[in-house]
Amino acid sequence: MNSAARLAEILSANAGRAGPLLPILHDVQAAFGCIDRDAEAEIAEALNLSRAEVHGVVSFYHDFSAEADPRLVVQLCRAEACQARGVEEIVAAGERAAGERVCLKTVYCLGLCSVGPAARVGDALHARLDAAALVALIEAA
Amino acid sequence: MTLIRISDDALALACGADAVAAAFAAAGCTVERVSSWGLHWLEPLVEVGGIGYGPMAPDDVSAVLAGTSTKSIGMIAEHPFIARQQRLTFARAGKTRPLSLDDYSATGGWAGLTRARSLSPDQVIAEVTQSGLRGRGGAGFPAGIKWKTVADAAASHKYVVCNADEGDSGTFADRMLMEGDPYHLIEGMTIAAYAVGASQGYIYVRSEYPHAITKLNQAIVLSADIIAPFRIEVRVGAGAYVCGEETSLLNSIEGKRGEVRAKPPLPAHQGLFGQPTVINNVLTLAAVPHILLEGGAAHYDSHGVARSKGTMPIQLTGNIKSGGLFETAFGITLHELIYDIGGGTASGRPVKAVQVGGPLGAYIHPDRFDLPFCYEEYAGVDALVGHGGIVVFDDTADMGRLARFAMQFCAAESCGKCTPCRIGSTRGVELIDRIRSSPRGADSVELLPQMHNARKAGRSREEDIALLEDLCETLKFGSLCALGGFTPYPVLSALKHWPEDFT
Amino acid sequence: MGYEPQVDFGTPEVQSETVVTLTVDGRVVTVPTGTSVMRAAALTGGSIPKLCATDNVQAFGSCRLCLVEVDGMRGTPASCTTPAAEGMVVHTQTPRLAKLRKGVMELYISDHPLDCLTCSANNDCELQDTAAQVGLRDVRYGYAGENHLGLEADTSNPYFDFDPSKCIACSRCVRACDEVQGTFALTIDGRGFASKVRRPATSLIGASSGRPWPSVTVSYATDVTPLRSRPLVCSGSGAR
Repeated sequence: MNSAARLAEILSANAGRAGPLLPILHDVQAAFGCIDRDAEAEIAEALNLSRAEVHGVVSFYHDFSAEADPRLVVQLCRAEACQARGVEEIVAAGERAAGERVCLKTVYCLGLCSVGPAARVGDALHARLDAAALVALIEAA
Repeated sequence: MTLIRISDDALALACGADAVAAAFAAAGCTVERVSSWGLHWLEPLVEVGGIGYGPMAPDDVSAVLAGTSTKSIGMIAEHPFIARQQRLTFARAGKTRPLSLDDYSATGGWAGLTRARSLSPDQVIAEVTQSGLRGRGGAGFPAGIKWKTVADAAASHKYVVCNADEGDSGTFADRMLMEGDPYHLIEGMTIAAYAVGASQGYIYVRSEYPHAITKLNQAIVLSADIIAPFRIEVRVGAGAYVCGEETSLLNSIEGKRGEVRAKPPLPAHQGLFGQPTVINNVLTLAAVPHILLEGGAAHYDSHGVARSKGTMPIQLTGNIKSGGLFETAFGITLHELIYDIGGGTASGRPVKAVQVGGPLGAYIHPDRFDLPFCYEEYAGVDALVGHGGIVVFDDTADMGRLARFAMQFCAAESCGKCTPCRIGSTRGVELIDRIRSSPRGADSVELLPQMHNARKAGRSREEDIALLEDLCETLKFGSLCALGGFTPYPVLSALKHWPEDFT
Repeated sequence: MGYEPQVDFGTPEVQSETVVTLTVDGRVVTVPTGTSVMRAAALTGGSIPKLCATDNVQAFGSCRLCLVEVDGMRGTPASCTTPAAEGMVVHTQTPRLAKLRKGVMELYISDHPLDCLTCSANNDCELQDTAAQVGLRDVRYGYAGENHLGLEADTSNPYFDFDPSKCIACSRCVRACDEVQGTFALTIDGRGFASKVRRPATSLIGASSGRPWPSVTVSYATDVTPLRSRPLVCSGSGAR
């Protein structure tokens, strides 16, 4: 399916919702890895919003990006509870392992605060990480 | 065939529960995936005939089946961590399959809703008011009063919105409830909808909780006939802590930037899509089914102290030996929670500080560990009960760095609408860096000759600390919402109790 | 010389069949129900510092300069978003408020160019006036911190320039575009410290028009400003 058809499908799938913009943006981000200018314009048109309104929303939320990043993403929690369990001491090893290939992203809280440091790859969660476990996780990603 | 029960909660999965479950299945056992007991240091925890084993690895399976495992903790229900609790909201934790309607009904599910529907909406609200239930999201506003306001508002559409944007570090109770007992939340919301006359509900869940989102979506489909004519839809956040603030959450559901709205108007008057809206936290709504049981309100009210009534699911996290979910009546002290129940730090080192109530909560010094856990007592010492998260730090913690992190977090998550939070959080990070730096120098711009009226000598540490205190006052009283307004709590508490960490 | 500045009451006039009477700094004033404390104060002749509020768009509550104290109310509510209530006793000038306002202004100026004398808005600048009004004399943060001073000005519109380094992100232009003009051509891009006013890029404006800045702001500037004889949109001199 080409991207225009996919976008149209997403728009029609969310047509019945009240306040459909965020669900649409999630679907577009998942389908294309980003929400680019053209997609913003299409979405605006479909929802009878201005392009400025859609862009303002896209740029507000960290889950949405204007450009696709082909790298794999590993989210590492660096909030207080994981800090208390030593996450800051393993960040450097994780960054070295990630290099250019993997995007090691900071996330604030995965809700695994009693068993941190914690990380997320896609929908898979990992807890009780030490430097070796984090490196292994990144290398396997 | 041996029946093995293992949690499929996200935390258990993160600790490797699937591999353990697969190993038991491969050994010919019947494996039931249930909710988590909340004994997190023992996850993956397996239950065989009431006896718990944990933390389990796939290699431990044969020993458990042979009866030779050294990882037995005895009867789980009698474990001190469980036996000491008063579980009303988490009564099913560890005991039922999250999506099983049979399990839910067999453990008293829908009884609160059935009874609520036999009462008038006014009577339902009266019982919620009588129970003393207050908002568990942090603000502690009486739930019954909020419901009454919405019930009394004249409007063609009303909404019940569940705030499941659990972004505070050190909290996971919402997540556990949504993943482990989703019908319980759905029942609570349906009771709220009946009480106020709403036909549509939304659960706003943060995107960092994919398992909760999946479970809720499945549970909503499976229970649709039971809760009809009420309907619920899950809405997924998109990476914005500030959307846990109720008005910004409403904007987010409406498809807008998650900026905070000025109040008034209150959401109870003009909330979602401009209509009267009940917006409550997961734990608030999940307390409701119990309250609506016969005598439930009085029973709930009989727990707790003074104006902090009922139970609070407290989350023991961070550097703690026995971390997990501990639901108990208000009034318990930090000393009991951290030492008697939590067993002290995981590292074995002395406790230096605990942060209660998330990233906006104060750091509490061990000399205040006698403080009873309740809204008013905490407010009295500039601390927050918040969402009941407790993060323990050992003596290696650098409180100056944590104060800096509080400002950094505020800067990262600020919606940018109000000036104190938008600019002040960034200045706060820089200022704490300046306070902690040495040697101290003058501002490079102020040194320029054109800057004729500017200060030429560097500012002293004392002057910078006074400025940090002023900044905190500007944030506290000037900010539009609690993100900027409460960031001073961790900063000033760290500065007050551990000034040596700011050099 | 230019124009006779008119009083800006801060928030729009409210129509109501009922009225409330309140006291602002000892002066009794009766206003239609739903009127903001800020407008009530302005009607008594008082002047509460403000930057994001102006009386042709709805109250927004973002600049936090218009904080007041109200007897019996906790904290320091923003007067623009607080409706006047019967019997309310409001204080708009107290030492505590003065300190808070100065604290907010100190933050603004820590991220603002220091070129007032050569700025085209000199002497016609609400930010400058308000800084004077709150008595800011020293920016204790210094000026070396993170800032927006390096952002490039957009001079593509024949009617005005937009200098983002001078923008205070009050959203007035965005709101005027939405509420007055109904064009919804502007937005805040990003969030937090990185928030900045933006119109979607030229390629988004539409193949047919290709106009760089939306016409909304142009007509706003030409149609509305003369009527009111004062600059209505920009308080922080981002657009001139």
